[in-house]
Amino acid sequence: MKNDFRLRYPLWNMAFILVLGVMAIGLNSRFVDVTKTENSLTINAQAFDGAIVFGSLLLYLVLITIYLSQLKAYNAKNPDSKISPFAIRPPEYMEEDEGMTFITRKAVQKVYTFFTWALPTLALILLFFPLPRLYIIWGILAVSFGQYFIYYLEIRKHFKEETE
Amino acid sequence: MPMLKNRVKEMRARYSLTQSELGKQVAVTRQTIAFIEKGEFSPSVTLALKLAKALQTDIDELFWLEGEDDNEK
Repeated sequence: MKNDFRLRYPLWNMAFILVLGVMAIGLNSRFVDVTKTENSLTINAQAFDGAIVFGSLLLYLVLITIYLSQLKAYNAKNPDSKISPFAIRPPEYMEEDEGMTFITRKAVQKVYTFFTWALPTLALILLFFPLPRLYIIWGILAVSFGQYFIYYLEIRKHFKEETE
Repeated sequence: MPMLKNRVKEMRARYSLTQSELGKQVAVTRQTIAFIEKGEFSPSVTLALKLAKALQTDIDELFWLEGEDDNEK
């Protein structure tokens, strides 16, 4: 169970969020400056910011490749409960029976409680402090990261001391 | 508030059953048996009855409420 892909799914999402957070640094800086005149077009790309964007994009592609290969392996092992990468229902829900449903419900309740506080708090902060766009994106990503982190911790707690 | 206690682990050991084997008999995952044994999850009446049947015992021998008498006083 500890190696169940669904148990690790929140970790994948947390990794993707972190990479997006880094990518946002590059995308929100002026690393590409386009100057257009009547006879010329000048494009200035700053090496550091460009490296952040392309590095994080590359890392994202590597991560998504590993993620999809693990998803494929899980689906091959579990033909009766295949996970679609495009499913609306989050694949980390584990509801095969009443015990698993109970654990999933507990984790989801904690995430809901987190959202109840995190989203209004974030909205208030953005309302009273005129923050740059990058900070707003980071705020949204932080809330999203928190969601998966809370879910993962709760699920992991129950599977930590598994004994046969 | 009374807490639901159980003897599932003890009874399972008596019949030398693993959590997976018992889970298969009552159509639940091994994890659910583990959650019940650890007291993290209180099973439904249906599952409790199935467990009692699989472990060849009465339901009140397998599950009981601790602190029940305190409440009645």
